[in-house]
Amino acid sequence: MACLHDHSCEDHDCSSNWSLYKHIDLPKVSALNEAVPGSAKSVFKPWEHRLNSSEEHLESNEGDPELLVYIPFTSDVKIKSIAIIGGTDGTSPSKMRAFINRDGIDFSDAQNMQAVQEWDLVENLNGLLEFQTRYAKFQSVASITLHFPDNFGGDTSQIHYIGFKGEATQLKRDVVATIVYELMPNPSDHKTKAESGGGFSQVE
Amino acid sequence: MVLEATMICIDNSEWMRNGDYSPSRFQAQADAVNLLCGAKTQSNPENTVGILTMAGKQVRVLTTLTSDLGKILSCMHGLEVGGEMNLSAGIQVAQLALKHRQNKNQQQRIIVFAGSPIKYDKKMLETIGKKLKKNNVSLDIVDFGEEEDGKPEKLEALFAAVNSNDSSHIVHIPPGGTAISDALMNTPVFTGDGEGGSGFAAAAAAAAAGGGDFDFGVDPNLDPELALALRVSMEEERARQEAAAKRAADEAARQGKGEEPPSNSQDTAMVDKDAEATNSAADPMDEVNALLQQAIALSMENAASDPSVRDSEMAEATNDDQDLAMALQMSIQESAKDSSSQSDMSKALEDQSFVSSVLASLPGVDPNDPSVKELLASFQGQASQSESGQKKDEDKPPSDDK
Repeated sequence: MACLHDHSCEDHDCSSNWSLYKHIDLPKVSALNEAVPGSAKSVFKPWEHRLNSSEEHLESNEGDPELLVYIPFTSDVKIKSIAIIGGTDGTSPSKMRAFINRDGIDFSDAQNMQAVQEWDLVENLNGLLEFQTRYAKFQSVASITLHFPDNFGGDTSQIHYIGFKGEATQLKRDVVATIVYELMPNPSDHKTKAESGGGFSQVE
Repeated sequence: MVLEATMICIDNSEWMRNGDYSPSRFQAQADAVNLLCGAKTQSNPENTVGILTMAGKQVRVLTTLTSDLGKILSCMHGLEVGGEMNLSAGIQVAQLALKHRQNKNQQQRIIVFAGSPIKYDKKMLETIGKKLKKNNVSLDIVDFGEEEDGKPEKLEALFAAVNSNDSSHIVHIPPGGTAISDALMNTPVFTGDGEGGSGFAAAAAAAAAGGGDFDFGVDPNLDPELALALRVSMEEERARQEAAAKRAADEAARQGKGEEPPSNSQDTAMVDKDAEATNSAADPMDEVNALLQQAIALSMENAASDPSVRDSEMAEATNDDQDLAMALQMSIQESAKDSSSQSDMSKALEDQSFVSSVLASLPGVDPNDPSVKELLASFQGQASQSESGQKKDEDKPPSDDK
């Protein structure tokens, strides 16, 4: 559901609430059906800069409004709400579906799978609208995939800003990534104190 | 070193029986596929490759994505040729196989060998291409074999639809001449998007193309020492052959002057060898040519020689000074009467002092050695024209000691 701020934002700083962008693992952000490869990273910026449309934005390919954005985080986060700023002239996305903690989703997967939550978006050009999540389901999010299946009639879909509001925990969900298992012991790896010359066992 | 999962779509339709690529289209294609698999797995150890065939009753996946090169190569055996190629089903199955790859970090790539005519129209190919592009799959198209009207345009349309950011490629290979694998070797299909390519691909390309470019079949960049050694030894051999030719020419040309010219020619040859060792080969070259002509003319009219007389004189010297003796013997055995050698040179060499000084400069020859002196004397003594030689001859009676 959308909610509006009931105070003007000049009084206090709303940006501290939208601080989850710092926990996004930007190099690993990817999108499918983007017109310019790598442009997906440009939509994650601080709250104050959300209206900076001079920089790049994420645009889908000609004639195809579907977009799929994969966003991993550097640690597990709890997401309270999401804000989206779309483009003008019907290029704003009209629906959003979210998938949690799955990577490698492509369009056929996204269309067939049951999303964790779906929203109907409105055209939101200044980013004051936020879309709340069912908080219980978004408690330990390592990565989120957002699927935008349709827009408001434009030829392409444009997204200028994606913001997340919530809390970051310092935990990491992933299992340990790199472990080297020894099949056979290698003595050179296990120097004892006597061999390395330390200790009190030297006799002059 | 891009981490990639590649599905290779092979065309095994009836059109592959044709022989316009040797030995047959299908074999040429199989060779190219083998090389390609090797290059992909070498460029990054985590790369995976899978193979499927497009023709026949249905599209058949021969191996799913694997990094085991042996498995890939073995599944290429025993493939049957027949049926019609189904391009769109082949690409769809390849896409499905790539979707279910184990390592989701790998880039997805499909390589299609399109040898038979394409029965789809441009629109359909463009939708296929768009779908691949949407799912971030790169496509390499190898256009070979049948050249029907419109096939290159159709494939170019497919390529344009799928290409995003130059990650896809298309190669047209005309029949005859180069094999498919050779033609592919230099393209980005093999070398992978121009990042420097894999060592395998680069080495294979260099070996194929570089063999004929360098003098000795060895790349100076790869192995400069070997190239240098080969070049030096070639030059030494050439110099030695020139010396031998000149020696032979001199000897043949001077036989008419008795023994002196041979000894002189022997000296000449030795002098020349010295001279050449100190790197001056320009002048003797012309002389050698002229002498060679004469030598050839003379040897045509050679009568049998009378080596017996010569041999007895040579016997004593032989043991001590093997090289000298052998060469002299060789020169003596060609008997000839006429001489048309260069008189000025022979005159110069008649001078005993000159000869002995030359001999002194030669390594291993001691002019005071009695046997050497005896040799010289004996040659000079038999010369009928030389005056100084005869005088010395009286001074130095031949001795028998060694």
